[in-house]
Parts: sequence; structure tokens; C-alpha cells
Amino acid sequence: MNGRPRQGVLYLVLAVAMLLAALAGLGVGPVRLTPVEVWNALGGRGEVTAVAIMRDIRAPRVVLAALVGAALAMSGAALQGTMRNPLAEPYLLGVSGGAAVGAVLAVAGGAPFGLVPIGAFGGAVAAVMLVLAIARAGGRRPDPRVLLMAGVVVGAFANAVIMIALASAPADSVRNALWWMMGSVAGATWAQIAWFAAYGVVSASALLLFAPEIDVLALGDDAAAGLGVNVDRAGRRAYVIASLLAAATVAAAGLVGFVGLVVPHLVRTRAGSRHRAVIAAAGLAGATLVILADLVARTLRAPSELPLGAVTALGGVPFFLFQLRRFR
Amino acid sequence: MIRFDDVVVRYPRAAAPAVDGVSFEAPEGKITAIVGPNGSGKSTLVRALLGRVSLQRGVISVDGQNVSTLDRRALARRVAVVSQREEPAFPLRVADYIALGRHPHAHLWSAVDPAGATAVARAIDDAEVRPFADRTTEELSGGEWQRVRIARALAQDARALVLDEPTTYLDIAHEMSAFELLDALARRGQAILVVSHQLNLVARFAHRVVLLHRGSVAAAGAPSDVMRGDVLERVYEWPLVVTRDPAVGAPALLPLRGRRIT
Amino acid sequence: MPFVYHRSLGLAFGAGVALAAALVAACGDARSRMPADTAVANATGALTIRDDFDDTLTLRAPPRRIVSLNPATTELFFALGAGDRLVGRTHFDLYPTAAQAVQDLGSAIPPNVESVLGVRPDLVLLYASQSNREPAARLHAAGVPTLTLRIDHIADFRRAVGILGRVLGDTARASVVVDSVTGTLERVRVATQGKPPVTAFWKAWDSPVIAIGGGSFLSELVDIAGGKNIYGDDPRPAFDVTIEDVVRRDPDVVFAGPESGERMRAAPAWRALRAVRNGRILIVDTMLVGRPGVRLGEAAVSLARLLHPGSLP
Repeated sequence: MNGRPRQGVLYLVLAVAMLLAALAGLGVGPVRLTPVEVWNALGGRGEVTAVAIMRDIRAPRVVLAALVGAALAMSGAALQGTMRNPLAEPYLLGVSGGAAVGAVLAVAGGAPFGLVPIGAFGGAVAAVMLVLAIARAGGRRPDPRVLLMAGVVVGAFANAVIMIALASAPADSVRNALWWMMGSVAGATWAQIAWFAAYGVVSASALLLFAPEIDVLALGDDAAAGLGVNVDRAGRRAYVIASLLAAATVAAAGLVGFVGLVVPHLVRTRAGSRHRAVIAAAGLAGATLVILADLVARTLRAPSELPLGAVTALGGVPFFLFQLRRFR
Repeated sequence: MIRFDDVVVRYPRAAAPAVDGVSFEAPEGKITAIVGPNGSGKSTLVRALLGRVSLQRGVISVDGQNVSTLDRRALARRVAVVSQREEPAFPLRVADYIALGRHPHAHLWSAVDPAGATAVARAIDDAEVRPFADRTTEELSGGEWQRVRIARALAQDARALVLDEPTTYLDIAHEMSAFELLDALARRGQAILVVSHQLNLVARFAHRVVLLHRGSVAAAGAPSDVMRGDVLERVYEWPLVVTRDPAVGAPALLPLRGRRIT
Repeated sequence: MPFVYHRSLGLAFGAGVALAAALVAACGDARSRMPADTAVANATGALTIRDDFDDTLTLRAPPRRIVSLNPATTELFFALGAGDRLVGRTHFDLYPTAAQAVQDLGSAIPPNVESVLGVRPDLVLLYASQSNREPAARLHAAGVPTLTLRIDHIADFRRAVGILGRVLGDTARASVVVDSVTGTLERVRVATQGKPPVTAFWKAWDSPVIAIGGGSFLSELVDIAGGKNIYGDDPRPAFDVTIEDVVRRDPDVVFAGPESGERMRAAPAWRALRAVRNGRILIVDTMLVGRPGVRLGEAAVSLARLLHPGSLP
């Protein structure tokens, strides 16, 4: 009714913000390039070095950062609605722990570097399944609180496994694993982006499709059942789609924390009550923020790089505190 | 209308059934009230109706159809439930909240069905919540919130409306206005089933009263038949007196102090 | 009955105390038990050295059971003719071939102190990394003579040779080793002197990308071999960099190990480097150049041959 034109403005603003962030991400870097050179290089014209920088270094980073940010924010928004918990975030539910275990085991086991993302994704899937199994064992109906507890337990177990693996691994594997866990889009390649985008688009579309169900789930189990929703199935469906989407981001870029937790809150007040709008808006906002976070990560301590996960956490905390103030 | 036929429900690991052979009808156009002490099985009956607990025996039917044969959405289109407590995790615009009542009618990809907008508008008017339709759920008072929840149930366009303790947290004025709304809805042809502790309100507004005692029907009928001192004292295990209140003519209950019966 | 009970308790207690005393005595005994010819060597007087952790090493006699937890010092002991005295090395000390016969005690940073103590050494050599502070302290506390040396620069290497020469009581041989290495380095420097300097990037690691800086002997070797490290102005031995920053500095060549170099060829992002596009990825033998040891000269020669082919026969 009234909300429609307001929402249109919101999407426009977010899309413009994302575009500006992308331009900043493409235009800034150790090698100084004029906007004309940037434009030409993206099109494949101009000096070979400039073309390589734009097409193989900066552009993949910016695109992967955007995809990862959007995926994490959308996953977080969906999970917060499904679990009726404003503090739910994809990493809390065993995904990050499982992915980290998968990656660390792959690295410590000496797997070639290309297998690490697969190990991470496999680990995350295993963790999600484990969480569901634990929650189901606790009772016929996996109450969101039980899911949350199971997620925390699986996460703690994963941490223990990681510590054991790292303690017994040779020093350089440890360094590899730690670097990977701190999150980065530095090694972004178009091949990686292609598979992540394919997977991400499917998952995100599924989340948007099932968003009305999440609206109803967010009211409570009894209310949702009364409105004709199979609470167990719908809850599990949303949980699995959102968690696996987050798992894919971990496989692609390591642990980039806080985005899934904070971004949904930032857009919720403006995007309105419908989760379809909240998830979509969160996607745009998440992409923007992670592009900017990556920009900060690679310029603040040049020529070195800060881990992306550290920047999002550092930036996320003040945002979150600001939001808390509004809660009073 | 809603019909319970010899319904038996037993929770796992329970010594005795929670509902033990309950039969009654909640017809259209009338308010049927289920009353009884705590633990007598009132909420279990509502859960059984919704399919949240399974029946050991017996059949629950809505408009002649066994509810176990209906899928959830179909059931939701026939029966709307206002549960005891509800607290959305995130603040919603009231109009959006009410529109969620259309979910059983909507397709997967759209949130609201074509007939939805009219149904929502009608629900808002019936429940008289238009003045705060644009506010968020967090900003409502207890009474306003209750009416909004009823509005959402109305938006479901179901012929039967089930309310579980709808007047908790409400002051006298809001209690009365809630029951008056139910009365108006019943007059318009809906089947209303109310679970309530408020025996006096039930006495005034309900057309039929079902008194539960330890899972069985202790008494059923018009309020004046069921609300009798001896029956109620036995069931509630508390001394009380039933008078006929002169202003309205409905039976009025007066609990007495101190226990005479152990 | 209480009386009997107390008496047996007392007996048990007494036995326990006696056992503990015996253990303490035995341990103390083991600590002070020195190799057979200590008594003879005492006459020479004690050797005192201040190491790079500011601890003082006091040796009363040349050590006979040495644990070397640094590939550079392991090589040195063999070069100084004391390889047969080694009773422990790190996992990575594989040169010379004879070193492989010495017992592998695991990692160097940090070392497994218990394994080290288990071979009963009378001298332990550690690398001066902050992670080794605690192991060094524990070894000192256990009464084991421990020497912690920082060997990052070529000058550090010369100093280490000198120290080890004094420790072994064979300063003459130490001088021979130093002179030999210095001589080779000089030869390389002279041979590449007139050549135009080739700018180089040394890639030590892939994720993150780690560059060798001016604080490492590798940077010095590059200089000697007629090259110029693009990160030579940074005093740190190694630090992480972004690929784009390397592109900005535009090196002529890249030094990398075999697998590292292979990955560079395959990765699209590295094609932004002119050196990669021109195929100038110089593969180094990591075993040869990986430590500032006795083969520094050969290492410099190998680098010079890569940077300026034909300059050295």
C-alpha cells in the first residue's frame, strides 16, 4: 500500500551505493590509473599491465566481494526471520566451524590448493547435517532454540578439531590455514566467481521465493502452524538453504564475519515487514559494505593487506552498537 | 462448524489421557465456550484441532470434513486460530501483519492473493483497528494488539474462529469489547469457539458452554444449565456461589474465601 | 585398630619421602653428569659467550653431544669437522647427506624441549625467534648449555662461524670456512659488477603473498649477484604484500621455488607482472638458498647465473 514507493526509493539508493562502491573498488589501488585508463583497461584496451590489473586483479576482487557480501547478508536476514532471533547469523549455526575444519584438514593433509574450497564446502555441509541431526535427536520438533544450541555445540567441536589439526600440522600449513580463516578475496579468479555466482543465484532465488513462508515463521511456531505452514519442513528448508549459501561464501573467501549479523538490521527498518524486501535489500547493502571493506583491507596498511574478516568485524562492531542504541 | 467426536488424546509417558472421550459441537452463528480448571484439557483440544497432537481415538471435523484428511493450508482456510500469546520477533507494520492472514490463500511466489486486499480491508474494519493500521506492532497497547490479532484471524476468511484465552492481559473495557466483537461475528454467521477462564464473561456471551473436568465433559449446554453452583464447585474444587445478576440476567459466579472442601 | 593404622600410614609416608629424595638425587646426578673427558678439559678454563637472547653460555669444555636446531648451524658443524658430535637436528636439516643420519628431533620453532632433553645434550643451538624464548628458558632452567643465535644476515653468518669455532676450540678451521665463503661472494660480486642491475621480486609464499625484504640474507645475495630487490628498502626480512603492489614496482624478474613458480605461471592475476609475461620466473633451489649456511657462496653463484647468464663459468 503505502510502502511500495518508499521501497522503490530504498532499492534505488542501495543500488547506487553499490555501484559507487564498485567504482571506488575498481579505481583505487597501488597502481595509479586514471578513470579513462580504468575504463579502457576493463574493456581490454590500453597497456597490457593495466588491462591485467583491472581484469585479473581488481575486477575479480570487487565482484567476489560483492557476491560474498550479498550472500552473507541475505543468508543472515533469512536465518534471523526463520529462527525468530535478531542475533542469529549464518556462522553461529555450525557453518563457519564446519567449513574451517574442512579447509584446515585439506590444508594440513597437504591437498593441492585448489581443493581447499571444496574441503571447506564439504565441511560446512557436514556441519549443517550434524546440527539438524542433533536438533532432531533432541525432540520431534526442532525448535529454533534447539537448532541454535546444536549449532553452537557443533561450532565448539569444530574449533577443537581445528586446534588439534593445527597443533599436529607443519608450520607452513598452519600459516596457510590461519590466513585462509581470516578471510580474503585477494585470490579471486573468474573461475571461482563463476561457480559461486551460479550456486549463489540459485540459493538466493530460493530464499526470495520462500520469503513469505519466513514471514509466517517469524510470528512463532503456533501462529505459523495455524496459518497452514509445515513448521518443521519450512524451518529446515530455510535453514539449509541459508546455511549452505553461507558455506559457499566460506569456501570462496574464508571467514568474513559480522556481515550476516549486522546488515539485515541495517535494512530492516527501511525495508519494511516483508522478508522478501528485507532479504533483497540486505543483499544490496551487504555487497556494498564488503566491497568497501575489501577496499579498506587492501589500502589501510599498504603494501600489506589486512584480513577481510578483521575489517568487517571492526567495522561491524560500531554499526551494531549504533543499532543497539536504537533498541534502547 | 467444528465437531469433536469421542476424542481421546494421550501425551507420551502420561499416566492418564489429557482428553478422554470428549464430544461436542461448535455450530455456526454461535459462541461456544470451553471452560474448566487448569489441566482439564482445554488447550489440548485446541492443539488437537490444529493437528499439533495426534488423536488416540475419535474424529475432529470441520464442516463435515475430518481434519486429519485436510492438508494444513486447507485447514487454515477453514479454521482461524488466535493463540494465547504471540510476540513477533521483529516489529511489523500492523497492516502487513494482518495481511499475513492471507497466507493460506496465497500462492508460493506471491505474498498476498488477488482477493487478499479486500479481505484484509474488511478484517481491519470488522476488528475496528483502522486507526492504528499504519503503526508497528511494537507500539500497540495490550488491548490494541489483541484486536489486531483477531483482525489477522479474520483476514484468513475462515468460517470457524478459535480463540485460546483471548482476554488475558485485557482490562474490563477491552475484555467487554473483545467479546462484543465475537458476538457480532457470531451473528454474522461464524462459528466461534472460545477457551476462557472468564466464567462470568462466558456466562454472558456464550450460547453454549462445555465444562471440562480432567479430560472429560462434566457438563454441556446453555450457560444457565452448566453454570450451577454444585457442578462448578465439584469441578473447580473451590467454594463458590452462583447468582443471577439482576442487571443483565446472566448467571454470575462468586468465589468464596477459604476452603471448605479438601 | 587406630594404633596399627597410624603406624602403617607413617611407614607409607616415610617410604614416600625416601623415594622422592632418591628421585631428586638421581635427577641432580644426571644433570651434573658430564662426559668422560670433562675432568681433563677443565684445565683449559671456561668459555663465556653472550647470545642473542642476552643469555650467557658458559662452557667448560668443548661439547661432545650437540643438538643443532637450525639448518645453518647444522651445516656449519659438519663444515667444521664436528658433524660426528651431533646428536640431534631439526626435520629440515638435510644437508650435507651425512646430516640425515643424525636423529631428527622435529621442528626448530618451537622445538620439542622434552625430545631435546631426551638425547642428553651438552650444547643446544637455537634460532633467535621470539617463539623460542620459552624453550630457551626451559633449557637453561634444566641446566643445559644453550646458545641462541640470530642468523638473518650474511654478517650474522660470519659471526656464527666465529662463535662456533671458539665453542669447538678450532678457530683456525672456522677462519678457513669464513674465508672460503667470503671469497666466493667476492668473486660473484666482481663478476656481476659492471652489469646493469636487474630488479627482482623474491616470492617467499603464496597465500598470503609474502615478499623477502631488505632484512634477509636473500636480499643481500641478490645484491651480490647483480640484482636489486624491489623490497630491499624495507628493513624487515619478510612481509605480506598485495599483487598489485608488486606490479607497481615492476620487477624485471621473479625468484620463486619450483611449485611456487608453477603456480605463478598458471594464475591469471600474476600475468599483470611484466616479468611473468616475459617468462622471467627464475626458479631457485630452495634447499641451496634457503638458509644462510656454508653454501652461501654457491647460493650467490646460482643466483648470478640466473640473473646474468654467462657472467660466471
